[in-house]
Amino acid sequence: MITRDIGIIGYGSAAYHKKPDTSLFGYAGRAARKAIANAGINKKEIDGFCLDGSLGADTSVSAAEYLGLTLSWAHKSTAAGAGTLMSVVNAVRAVEAGLANYVLCIGAGAQDISSFKKRISGFTAAVSNYLAPHGYGGPPGMHAIIQRKHMNAFGTRREQLGRIAVHQRMNAMRNDSALLRSPLTLDDYLNAKMVSDPLRLYDCVLPCSGAEAVVVGPLDRVQKGKGVRVLSARERHNHPLGEVAPIRGGWEVFRDVLFADAGYPQADMDFMQCYDDFPIMAAMQIEDLGFCPKGEIGCFLQENTLTYDGSFPLNTGGGLLSCGQAGGAAGLHGLVEAVRQLRGEGGARQVPDATRGIVSGFGMISYGHGLSASAVIVERA
Amino acid sequence: MSLPSAGYPHPDETEVNRPFLEGWRRGKLLIQRCADCSMFVFFPRELCPHCWCSDMQWVEAKGTGEVVSHSLVYSHVTEPFVSEAPVVLAEIRLSEGLTMLARVLTDQLPSISSGIQVELVPLPEASRYPLPTFRSRLPNG
Repeated sequence: MITRDIGIIGYGSAAYHKKPDTSLFGYAGRAARKAIANAGINKKEIDGFCLDGSLGADTSVSAAEYLGLTLSWAHKSTAAGAGTLMSVVNAVRAVEAGLANYVLCIGAGAQDISSFKKRISGFTAAVSNYLAPHGYGGPPGMHAIIQRKHMNAFGTRREQLGRIAVHQRMNAMRNDSALLRSPLTLDDYLNAKMVSDPLRLYDCVLPCSGAEAVVVGPLDRVQKGKGVRVLSARERHNHPLGEVAPIRGGWEVFRDVLFADAGYPQADMDFMQCYDDFPIMAAMQIEDLGFCPKGEIGCFLQENTLTYDGSFPLNTGGGLLSCGQAGGAAGLHGLVEAVRQLRGEGGARQVPDATRGIVSGFGMISYGHGLSASAVIVERA
Repeated sequence: MSLPSAGYPHPDETEVNRPFLEGWRRGKLLIQRCADCSMFVFFPRELCPHCWCSDMQWVEAKGTGEVVSHSLVYSHVTEPFVSEAPVVLAEIRLSEGLTMLARVLTDQLPSISSGIQVELVPLPEASRYPLPTFRSRLPNG
């Protein structure tokens, strides 16, 4: 179980850009400065640091030197978009164990489409050796294989998956920070430019630049209603073992214990923030976390409205599909939106009476699928 | 005689994957099989991921299989893929039972679907491609 006295006491986001106007550390610093101001703590109080795993040769310690931090606990997350989310849980445990008092968790990216497209041929050695020489098309090429398999196995249709992109765009239209805010219709979605059949343009996330940060510390440091506690958290890597393009992920393994630890079932979640690099991945997270039976996501999407004020509020700020995927920031994007909602700071997109919700992560493309799944259940403290 | 390699990116050749890449230069698909647990493994590794035995033996696969699922990759930024789009990228279940991702060549795009039979592209055409590449299997092939 996770202590209920320590949690997220502040958050900050650096504005997202289609083309970077600063370096990765530049973005990280912008988010960090906002996060500590939001938490009401002084930079000197930060003695724990979690960095997302995408900072190239830098470690959390060399990054700490760059950012002028002296630390008693330093951590670097793994598993890309799934791991940065879990870094926050590691931070809670570090504070609980007395290893640090206040931990700053940062995810950042400084990229645009062209730099991202250069990077996709070298995610891992397996990718550069055994996929890139085929012209594999990066994440869309892989996820198209997964989506077609899901469509074949369960009859899932693009008209159904498209509701994720379209409804999240409605959320984004109420979020000034989203990079993509123009109206998107289901027809726009269905007829967009082909990227990797069956994936078209609005199935694919926009690589961009930006950063997200949270501060973890004792919840009594902030006023009631402004802290967020982590009720439960789980991760699973390499599941199902040995499958190149599975249509299920690690969420199905830990789902029951995740909700049991939290003490609340799926029906008590006021929203879901998931890692939506593609609608098919959002769909699999909804299924595998038990919000509908496996294979029935098509009907679930048809029967639900996914907007912030709908029957199943999903990615209430627009998600990665409308806000953009800012590299390592993407793994914290959903959590920061969850914190915003639970503090009642969702503005024009506030989920009414948001008390608790689920945030799920996905990441680590290697030979085939994303290898890692994670999820946390968070509650207003 | 090999055809020009057409500018495709090439894998790094190492001690571990050399038999695989040399095999393909001879038009063969070589896969690893663990000497201890007999499991087939792709992509090439120093050890068996099933039992961590380091005695990995190379066997010649039949070079046939079936498409499990596929994508048609239209969006490319580098030649020769831009000119050759869409590239058919498929998950292929080899006759030996293991799955791999590979390109399937076709001039009949609509014929590519889950369950179709594929086979290795033979030499000399094979030498154009840096990794084992497949084509639809002829009905009487």
